[in-house]
Amino acid sequence: MSNIIGLINYGIAGNIHSIKKAVEKAGGTVKIVNNKDELNSVDKIVIPGVGSFKDAIQELQKSGLLDALKAAATTKPTLGICLGMQILSTLGFEYGKTKGLSLINAEVKPMIVDAKVPHMGFNKIDVVKSNRLLNDLENEEFYFMHSYEVVNYTNIVALTEYEGHKFVSSLQQNNLYGVQFHPEKSREAGIKLFKNFIEL
Amino acid sequence: MRTRIIAKLDVKPPFVVKPVHFEGLRKIGLPVDIAKKYYKQGADEVMYIDIVASLYQREILLDEIEKAANELFIPFGVGGGVKTIDDFSKLFHAGADKVILNTYAVQENPDVINQAAEIFGNQAVVINIEAKKWEDWYECYTDCGRIQSGKDVIEWAKEVEQRGAGEILLQCVDTDGRQRGFDIELAKRVVESVNIPVVVASGAGSLEDIKELVEYAKPSGVAIASLLHYDKFTIKDIKEYLKNNGVEVSK
Repeated sequence: MSNIIGLINYGIAGNIHSIKKAVEKAGGTVKIVNNKDELNSVDKIVIPGVGSFKDAIQELQKSGLLDALKAAATTKPTLGICLGMQILSTLGFEYGKTKGLSLINAEVKPMIVDAKVPHMGFNKIDVVKSNRLLNDLENEEFYFMHSYEVVNYTNIVALTEYEGHKFVSSLQQNNLYGVQFHPEKSREAGIKLFKNFIEL
Repeated sequence: MRTRIIAKLDVKPPFVVKPVHFEGLRKIGLPVDIAKKYYKQGADEVMYIDIVASLYQREILLDEIEKAANELFIPFGVGGGVKTIDDFSKLFHAGADKVILNTYAVQENPDVINQAAEIFGNQAVVINIEAKKWEDWYECYTDCGRIQSGKDVIEWAKEVEQRGAGEILLQCVDTDGRQRGFDIELAKRVVESVNIPVVVASGAGSLEDIKELVEYAKPSGVAIASLLHYDKFTIKDIKEYLKNNGVEVSK
């Protein structure tokens, strides 16, 4: 069975280089997805995450990927990373209110915490519901780099604590996975996560 | 919060160099080799600054950056001579996760901070401040401590936060490369005047210097160059020492 990982390229804001590298290091085959047709030819999807919520949705719209991605993410195993997880939500509040892909019932709001924001650096994840993506990664540290967080109550897989504030660091709904941290920037633990994703 | 230990590479292409007071360069090695070495030692991040791009008014060279990025599975911040949104874009495509900006923003067009933050997100925009101490204030310098800006460090730090910068890299012209300790008063003042993370560079000469800085000024990260370049200590040594002295670091 073919197992091609499609990496969504949404214009200037996507940081696809480092994710491609990490997936390949984990043994995966990567195809950069720039349009609808290319999306059809991949088996799994990774939505990367650098940029702002508003800009990401606009770029997806421009490239004609928005609706196609929305449909594909319900059938193919999909991993959203950082902003790529956030845009799975219903609504985002970064630079105004923006409608998300609405695949997960959640909203994306600024982190309210009595500490420095963005939350930046390695931090632990507390797996509250085990799944195959986070298999054997329960005690690992991952790299976080974000100012916004996903507010959700029904699909939480892992939580992370930042200076007394707990937020959602991983989500799952059927084949749809999201991580707030950057596995591509999290040393060997991140490579292992991609391995798990490839083996799903 | 775990204090980040960051390896800082000052690059005069094609070599990583170590300026003393931002002057007198010593060659250390190729960026790709040095970056990989610190990654393996357990660095939480690598910062790469092309220290002559801005001074020579040429574009930052992408080749060395891409090569180094290929070896790293940790965040990689890159700067030097950055001006336009197109520069940001090129660096991200070469493998940078954060872009480090100084001269153009402080001397010519601070609006570039707002534009970049809106497109790439706050977390991707790092402002490099090169502080120079005067009798009762600190002034922002640019081009490796060569050119004055007339801007007050504390005011500028607050302004870049307002404009959407996600992080500050605080360097100090007076202490850089001397390995005689940080300007911890400067660090504390900057850390306390903004709500975004501040990474402090310039001055680590011993493990005690780093501990003193972290305990006194509570920066989000410490950027280390000379101490590592001359193999006085490894990142692992630094983390172990900090951990044994009650400072939380990543493993």
